[in-house]
Amino acid sequence: MTIIDANVQPHFRFNSEIRRYLSAPHKLRAIPDVEQQWYQAPGGDYRQDLYGDGYPGSDPETMAHHLFDDNGVDYAILNPLTRGNIADYLLNSRICAAVNDWLLDRWLEPDTSNRFRGTIRVNPEDVRGAVAEIERLAGHPKMVQVGVPMQSREPYGKPMFEPIWEAAAAHGLPVAVHINGGNGVDHAPTFAGHAYTYPGYAAFMPLNSFVHLATLIVEGMFGRHRDLRFVFADGGYDILTPLMWRLDTFWMSMRDQTPWVDRFPSEYLRDHVRFCSSALDGPTDEGQAEQWLDFTNKADLLMYGSSYPHWSATGPSAVIAGLNDAQRDKVLWRNANDLFGVAEVEGSLA
Amino acid sequence: MTIGEHVQDIRDIDVTIVDTDVHPLPVSAEVLKSYAPAQWKDKLWPTGNAVSAVPHFYDTPDSYKTNSLRVDASPPGGGVAGSDPDFAAKQLLVDAGVSIAVLEPMCDAQLPQAEDVLKATHNDWLADVWLGEANWHGRWRGAISVTAQDPAAAAREIERWAGHPYMAEVLMTPQTRGIPFGSPHFDPMYAAAARNGLPVATHLMGQTPFELIPIYPVGNPAHWHDFFASWPLLYVSHLMSLVFDGAFDRHPDLRVVFVEGGFTWALPAMWRMDRIWEQRKADLPHVKRKPSAYVREHVRFTTQPLEEVDLGEYRQYLEMMDLGDNIMFSTDYPHWSYDSPDWAIRRFPADQRERIMRGNATALYGLPATVKALPAELPGAGDVAV
Amino acid sequence: MQRLPVCAIEDLPPGTMKLVQAGKFGVGVYNIDGSLYAIANYCSHEGAPLCLGYVRGTTEYDPEMPDQIRHVREGQIARCPWHQWEFDITTGACLADPKKKVRTYEVDVAGGQVYLTA
Repeated sequence: MTIIDANVQPHFRFNSEIRRYLSAPHKLRAIPDVEQQWYQAPGGDYRQDLYGDGYPGSDPETMAHHLFDDNGVDYAILNPLTRGNIADYLLNSRICAAVNDWLLDRWLEPDTSNRFRGTIRVNPEDVRGAVAEIERLAGHPKMVQVGVPMQSREPYGKPMFEPIWEAAAAHGLPVAVHINGGNGVDHAPTFAGHAYTYPGYAAFMPLNSFVHLATLIVEGMFGRHRDLRFVFADGGYDILTPLMWRLDTFWMSMRDQTPWVDRFPSEYLRDHVRFCSSALDGPTDEGQAEQWLDFTNKADLLMYGSSYPHWSATGPSAVIAGLNDAQRDKVLWRNANDLFGVAEVEGSLA
Repeated sequence: MTIGEHVQDIRDIDVTIVDTDVHPLPVSAEVLKSYAPAQWKDKLWPTGNAVSAVPHFYDTPDSYKTNSLRVDASPPGGGVAGSDPDFAAKQLLVDAGVSIAVLEPMCDAQLPQAEDVLKATHNDWLADVWLGEANWHGRWRGAISVTAQDPAAAAREIERWAGHPYMAEVLMTPQTRGIPFGSPHFDPMYAAAARNGLPVATHLMGQTPFELIPIYPVGNPAHWHDFFASWPLLYVSHLMSLVFDGAFDRHPDLRVVFVEGGFTWALPAMWRMDRIWEQRKADLPHVKRKPSAYVREHVRFTTQPLEEVDLGEYRQYLEMMDLGDNIMFSTDYPHWSYDSPDWAIRRFPADQRERIMRGNATALYGLPATVKALPAELPGAGDVAV
Repeated sequence: MQRLPVCAIEDLPPGTMKLVQAGKFGVGVYNIDGSLYAIANYCSHEGAPLCLGYVRGTTEYDPEMPDQIRHVREGQIARCPWHQWEFDITTGACLADPKKKVRTYEVDVAGGQVYLTA
């Protein structure tokens, strides 16, 4: 069976390597490291066995071996981190462009096996710059999605972001939301302030995707852009069933405030929303996994994503444990292939 | 109505439905003010330009007119819905069939001392107007409102009311301005509550000035429906903190009740906590048991607002969740998002119903098995209103 | 079903409603701009007394408007007194969910009297 790994984070060999891809005005600017200040995992953010041989996730051959040989994966979607929502939004866009150029230079262009795909990282705070970056790289056959951080001071359904989503949709590119590294002008990561433990941060953070999702629906972003798709790449999809139930229920009372929402909010999910799997999602009892995935039609929404080289990285067998054949097929390959069309790219390069 | 008017015919009826979330309101600001210390009246209720009594940002439909209350709950004698104990008894106890209801006033103030005084004022008002003579039937319970900003003051207020026959719990805001529930900051309050056998309930306040709405981590929605659909994530944040930051280990007798947030979100929250605990035990050396075990022992959830979803799917979910010992029915009377007991009871799997509608709350609050019938509940009541 | 006299038509001018003790929960008889309609006083959600709620208009999406909202159908929408679900008085339809229709009844006027068949 084909397996697509929809969430991999390649890394620079060292933090300052990014400066090779910055132009003269930016080369000597202060830029955060990719490691977060407050919420690094104790003992290291990455899988323990990846330390010692260069920065984890920084060598294409090593990564290819781990993903394609060890995990049996056929295609991997690379979604690199940038350096956080820094105050200077213009510099942030240059950082995104530098990361994109590095991704092409080090990972995508040299990959003659044609198994890596990439992400166009953009900075949502710089709408003009983000649209320009999408226009610059959307034509590259290996760029299969646009990438933005989970962290944001405004949820992505708000109107200021619309030109970016419009540009992504016009090029058939999903928008992937992923928790970013680095250091930014961000709100506290939980609804009750900062977390006091790493688990308190890591278990909660992916759930913020729901606020992005709810606003994308309620503000009419999905309604106005039929081809717009969002991928929430850190998981957090288990919260979907109870909270979409709530959103459907309360929308019935509030319909007249947002009449552009012309169907139940949950009816937008299939055409517009996908999630990558994570180590923190799913019933702890494998016997419930099959039934659980049918709630809210999650079997149609979920794509395997390893999160390699993160400490929480999972192999395909972990995510499909307990699932039936149809669910496995969708999660391991079909949903991602429908979204990213990797087979189409392969055909065009043959 | 006084006890003398019906002492001839007091009968006991079985407790069948406990309502764990009801909102009494003072009939006027003047009445509430009369319970405040003289030097605080002007500070808590500034004169000058009129300020709306209950701000309704993130407003519910037509809230300028409804005040987020049921349109049909206004007492015929005047006053806002929830301000008349007799009419509330008629609509909730007689008409809706609730046996015992837990009363939770809502209030907040910016500064710690002001909040302490305002909550104490509400406690004095509640005890006098609802839990005194008006409670001859013993069917109202109350909450001891306390300030989360000054846990030592909260502890003193708890001690002041502990032992009152009808104060059943402590009530604190979850909108704690960036301090999660597991923080040692709250320890004096938790200790006082646990010491007195009082659960600590927390209740979301959505109809509130924006200053009291937390800034969501990725920013705040523009409309009430996506705001309110996301609101349980505040409870998830606090629940994770209670477990991961060791509050239940420090306070083994503490019970926490999450009110008006629903409960179905607790299933994925427990799974996530269990999963990360399994994978990161070294980060949590003080967390001796599976997180979900702490939840099952220490935490309760009230049911309202129930979701409008296919019944078969909903029951499947509740069966999978197997949280029948931790859920307690609530109406949220007289708010607009009220859940009717008749409707609600049919939503639950049959083998969970009794616990949800009565058993869990009875065990948590130490409630009796019977209460006094109201005259209108007696056979041959005829035209008696209440 | 019975044909019940409700009131004289003069006592039910446009924009008013009479609650009739009929059916299991009562029936609201409405005069909307001279046309008469009747719906069950029972919300399809949790059984609230539907006819005790506000009678309003509703909104449609209009991208030409600055707030993208167009106000329509004033006086034709019953909003449940509890969760404020919107119901089209003229058809019983729930605006948000077609599956949540409320029961409607026949109303006629004869000899200056309003009659409800319920």
